[in-house]
Amino acid sequence: MRGMTGRRRLLPAIAAAVVALATLAGAGRPAEAQRKISVLTWNIPIYKEKIEGWTADFKRIHPDVQVEWLDKKGTEWATFYQTQLVGGTAPDVIDVQGGLWLEYAANGGLVDLTPYLAREPQLRDYYNPKFLATWVYEGKQFMVPFYVSKTLLFYNKTLLKEAGLTRPPQSFDELIDYARKMTKGERSGLVTLNFDWLYWPLFAMNGVELLTPDGKKAAFNTPAAVKTLETLARATEDGVIGKVSWTGRWVENNGAFASGTVGFHHAHAPAFFYVRGGGKWVSADTLGVAHVPGGYATPNSHGFGISKSSKHPDIAWDFVKLITNEKWAYTFGTTLNNLTGTRTDQKILEHFRKEDPLAAQVLQTQVEHLDKLVATWPQAKDAEIKEAFYAEIQAALLGRKKAAEALAEAERKVNRIIR
Amino acid sequence: METGSGSAAATRRGWPPRRWTRGRRRPGPFRRRGLLIAAFLAPSLLVFLLYRVVPLGWNVLLSFQRWSPFKPAKWAGLHHYEEMLLHDDVFWQSLWNTVVFMSSSPIAIALALGVALLVDQPIRGRALYRAAIFLSYPLMTVAVGIIWRWLYDEKVGLLNFALISLGVVSRGIPFLDSFQWAMPAVIVAAIWQILGFFMIILLAGLQNIPRELHEAAAIDGAGAGQRFGRITLPLLRPAIFLCLVLGIISSFTSFDLIYVMTRGGPNYSTELLITYIYRVAFGLSKLDYAAALTVVLFLFLLALTWLANRAAGGEAGAVEAPE
Repeated sequence: MRGMTGRRRLLPAIAAAVVALATLAGAGRPAEAQRKISVLTWNIPIYKEKIEGWTADFKRIHPDVQVEWLDKKGTEWATFYQTQLVGGTAPDVIDVQGGLWLEYAANGGLVDLTPYLAREPQLRDYYNPKFLATWVYEGKQFMVPFYVSKTLLFYNKTLLKEAGLTRPPQSFDELIDYARKMTKGERSGLVTLNFDWLYWPLFAMNGVELLTPDGKKAAFNTPAAVKTLETLARATEDGVIGKVSWTGRWVENNGAFASGTVGFHHAHAPAFFYVRGGGKWVSADTLGVAHVPGGYATPNSHGFGISKSSKHPDIAWDFVKLITNEKWAYTFGTTLNNLTGTRTDQKILEHFRKEDPLAAQVLQTQVEHLDKLVATWPQAKDAEIKEAFYAEIQAALLGRKKAAEALAEAERKVNRIIR
Repeated sequence: METGSGSAAATRRGWPPRRWTRGRRRPGPFRRRGLLIAAFLAPSLLVFLLYRVVPLGWNVLLSFQRWSPFKPAKWAGLHHYEEMLLHDDVFWQSLWNTVVFMSSSPIAIALALGVALLVDQPIRGRALYRAAIFLSYPLMTVAVGIIWRWLYDEKVGLLNFALISLGVVSRGIPFLDSFQWAMPAVIVAAIWQILGFFMIILLAGLQNIPRELHEAAAIDGAGAGQRFGRITLPLLRPAIFLCLVLGIISSFTSFDLIYVMTRGGPNYSTELLITYIYRVAFGLSKLDYAAALTVVLFLFLLALTWLANRAAGGEAGAVEAPE
């Protein structure tokens, strides 16, 4: 009985303690009334120290605003952002790669930056207009460049010379022919990256268009596309094009070229640093860089956008301006070996010409032929189209389907998605 | 007034007899005990409800809607199911792959049984063999995937090196990039990982079989094969059944192994339903369609569990009350 009475007294005491603790915790809340923005970057934990520099600089302009930095690997980024969106806690500023932004923009998930740029015309000149144009959807600007890259053709000078060739190819037929000449035993002639439409220049140089100009119908099922696909499939079957081109993503493809047994590598600029890190043979004497025939290239850049759910879009914009300004663009470019799609790029190139001439050669290609950027169609369902199209052509490239059959099936699927 | 049967049953279980009063139930010790049990169960039931039942319900609802993180939900009826069943060939392929992947469980069990029989013999250093075989199980699946990916590598893989050195092939086989080899290659890795775990379960089962039975059978003239078929296998049935259920569950949750080794490729030839759900939800941002796929996966699992329960005589998971 006494035990029971004790418990009866104890329970209200515990309840009172819980209430008191909750009150005390609540007392700390007013401090959090301080404004806060969050920034989500894409796999640059290595840049932590400089990002703290961003925050320190930003504090000078907005001492009352807290900045929270989040970073996710490429494979986790979209998953993380989407779950944050669902939870209503989407980061204010986001660093997005490739065409991922399109879906967010098309569904009203990003802030239209057009008015912000209109208010500050000097910024329009500061950001490279060709790259800016790749982030326009329905006439609205949704992203500004953080760092930019596009595809190019790397070649192994030694293998080219051994095959009796003196210059990089000037047409698609030459590309395949040269690759064939360099193929021998374990050696293959060509490897390409395939994610995010990076392989599209191989079709573009044959006059293939993915969609009609109004973007409402598939336009790729043409005799030219069938011929291109058949040529690529045959070359793959013969070992001229490494199978890894159609099955690998990044490490495998770059690793194959780095091994020194592949003649051409169709990849974007960041691949160079991976290849050089893994290939002891790489030097200015042995590695050549060129544009693919016709100068076509798929951009694969990173841009900054602002989530529509941001409570402080103006502050977020101030942050974006700051971290893309000359100081931070130069720091980023020279630290992580990239161009930034801003006026600062000339200064970054100067730096590399002095410090790392081979890297400068690679980076120089990234600001050339910007009128030949391809695979930049503003389709809200870009990811779905990409998946449907690639699944079919991959089957043809790996000899599982006939080219004509695969393209017809891809056409049916793509039309179904965009109808 | 006491109810005879209730009271007798309660007494059998060692609880105080229930007391009933006309009109009003008096809070006796039985009720207090019930409340106590409910209080102990409540936290776990609450967690189960919050993290299992509610999401499952929401998932089912979502599968009948058009929804994205950017837009409010709209009723879509059976649209996603129609899309899945009539137009999505990747769904059918991933479902088929899941069945194929799942059917590798009996192979793993057969191998584990062979290994268990071997390490059950009175051989020198058998504890060491057991430990060595079991070691693959506690390894992180991601690590297992990476190890096997490198073993299978076309250019620098140990397997291809061995095959070329032995003159079996003249050029490396791109195991994980080949339509014919990718699925068997992944299955081998999955079997390798779970083999040790199955071995331990089966070994425990083997050691529970009374030795006298084998001795008596041997005296009666039964050969090794007959003893295995008539004594070992029937008595191992519960352990084999447990392995089978665990194998099926494991094959449905083998997301990490597939993701690390092949990402479902090449051309969906190793895509399982679970990896396809992830691809649809987070690669294509079609969370509503992914919800419909999840419902199908759930129903598939439910059907399998029912079948397994039937195979176990309808008593799978039953707990006997203490006498």
